[in-house]
Amino acid sequence: MYRYDEFDARIVSERVAQFRGQVNRRLSGELLEDEFKPLRLQNGVYLQLHAYMLRVAIPYGQLNGRQLRRLAVIARDYDRGYGHFTTRQNIQFNWVALKDIPDVLESLAEVEMHAIQTSGNCIRNTTSDHFAGAAKDEIMDPRPWCEIIRQWSTFHPEFAFLPRKFKIAVTGADHDRAAIRVHDIGLHMRQRGDVVGFEVHVGGGQGRTPHLAALVSEFVPETELLDYLEAIMRVYNRFGRRDNKYKARIKILVSELGADEFRRLVREEYAAQREHEKIALPQEEIARIHAYFAPPELIPASGPNEAFEALKVEDKEFARWARINLHPHKVDGHVSVTISLKPIGGAAGDATDAQMMTVAHLAETYAHDDIRVSHAQNLVLPHVALKDLPDIYRELKAAGIATANESLITDMIVCPGLDYCNLANARSIPVGQAVQQVFADPDYQEDIGRLHINISGCINACGHHHVGHIGILGVDRKGEEFYQITLGGRADEKAAIGDIAGPGLKADDVPGALKRVVDTYRDLRTDKSELFIETLARLGHEPFKEALYAAD
Amino acid sequence: MTSVRPKLKPETPKAVTAWETATGQTVWMAADGSWTKEAGQIAAFTGDEAEARLADALKQEGVVTDPYFMEVTESGGITGRETLRETIRANGPTVAYGESA
Repeated sequence: MYRYDEFDARIVSERVAQFRGQVNRRLSGELLEDEFKPLRLQNGVYLQLHAYMLRVAIPYGQLNGRQLRRLAVIARDYDRGYGHFTTRQNIQFNWVALKDIPDVLESLAEVEMHAIQTSGNCIRNTTSDHFAGAAKDEIMDPRPWCEIIRQWSTFHPEFAFLPRKFKIAVTGADHDRAAIRVHDIGLHMRQRGDVVGFEVHVGGGQGRTPHLAALVSEFVPETELLDYLEAIMRVYNRFGRRDNKYKARIKILVSELGADEFRRLVREEYAAQREHEKIALPQEEIARIHAYFAPPELIPASGPNEAFEALKVEDKEFARWARINLHPHKVDGHVSVTISLKPIGGAAGDATDAQMMTVAHLAETYAHDDIRVSHAQNLVLPHVALKDLPDIYRELKAAGIATANESLITDMIVCPGLDYCNLANARSIPVGQAVQQVFADPDYQEDIGRLHINISGCINACGHHHVGHIGILGVDRKGEEFYQITLGGRADEKAAIGDIAGPGLKADDVPGALKRVVDTYRDLRTDKSELFIETLARLGHEPFKEALYAAD
Repeated sequence: MTSVRPKLKPETPKAVTAWETATGQTVWMAADGSWTKEAGQIAAFTGDEAEARLADALKQEGVVTDPYFMEVTESGGITGRETLRETIRANGPTVAYGESA
């Protein structure tokens, strides 16, 4: 993984010192909240419903054991013993006192972490495929490019005050696990002959006006990528709306101009860049960054592993976990392991300090010191030998993080909702927990197969409800929580925005209604290989809407 | 800063609430004008007195952040349109978290 150089280390520690001064002035009353707010947001500090929240960047979701241990220590010493992993592959601490935050940031800087650009109208953490560098179906590793984008966008003076926040995602496999079509810019790595390049999608997003990104360029060669991104950002910076917060995202600009006109403006801007402005990345620099992401030296092992096979026979729970939570690896005899942070009845994405310590230990002991955060709020050990799975499983089980549900119906994306968030209109976590209870039976879940339920507690859509196969949106009606159901969303290469099924439901009615929808799918599917989302596409939404609103 | 802050009539009993600047914890103004973290100490104000109390709170920037009115009963109990939000602000999340989850 990337390691800070002298320059990185200096700018991060200088920022901590600067923020310490700002916090001190806020605490003395010298800075008013209105003055302080933009400063704290630039350092990832929000003021939530009942506490400050610190959002720490985990670049493209990758961290090592030392970093995860440090996050655990911060959770233990400055928070209430847990952290929340987010859909931007970051972590949030929910209870940190403002007076302690400079110390927390200093502690993070020691392990090459920070909270810069995790909030505010700037380019946020670039996200990626959580199996990057490991997945069998991967064509190219997107992480070096995420890192190049991170270096380019961090403290970029031209893009520090954009009309609105800006999110970029990069994927290097045909199957899109990074939801690139619902990002401000989504980059899909492609190869033409010997030239590596990017398919560029612009103007996707969720929130109150969901849009799928438009294809703006089919191929931008890698050496031209940063100049092309800069051209997009300049068009957005110039023409993006600043008069209305709700129309300020680039998706509105692309939608209002149309993809053709937007593309024309980007090309014009690109052509107008003067020679001395061009970044035109030299191959040596591209190679230098790639060297940080050299794959670990894995020894291929062909055929079944005895210990692994034996435990599958002996322990049915292990066999189930192995069926569900493992992902094919490039190197024979290896897999990527998903550590589900979605235990039945838990809060999606939360991990205690002890659980973080366990994962750090496992990564260091068995998994080449590499840990990923997925945008679905789980953790991943990307490089694991089959022979080590029994030991890893035992430790995960002891730590309470061996739930076998990756991409199953109980593996929901759930925002913090009104239990934590100052913007939320309704609670998300308890609704998610109630839905999980209905589908808790492991055989039932496995029979249902891959089905993504995503829940947001307000229209800002942090819980990605628009792209859930089933989406749940919490709304407030005169002080009472209601939940609107959407059907047919998806976040992968066939991305789609879900359709609202009808009137909102009371919280208590949601689990039963979803069970009727899911059982309708089980009745109507051609066979078990047809996923919920495929049956929905084949038959249309009507039978499922009927089931949703059928009386018990 | 909250997404919804309903306007309250002058005669509606209201409390002054805010976030403690140093910690971010929820605080309310007690009857003597001091800040309390005990929901049982929430004081209800009306009319001009309420406005004066809020004005006073707004002057205490280093101590509290973003003070505002919330609806309460005459005895200071949380009530009204924002009952759920204010109850969560007072009591914390409605779900278990951390080790107890």
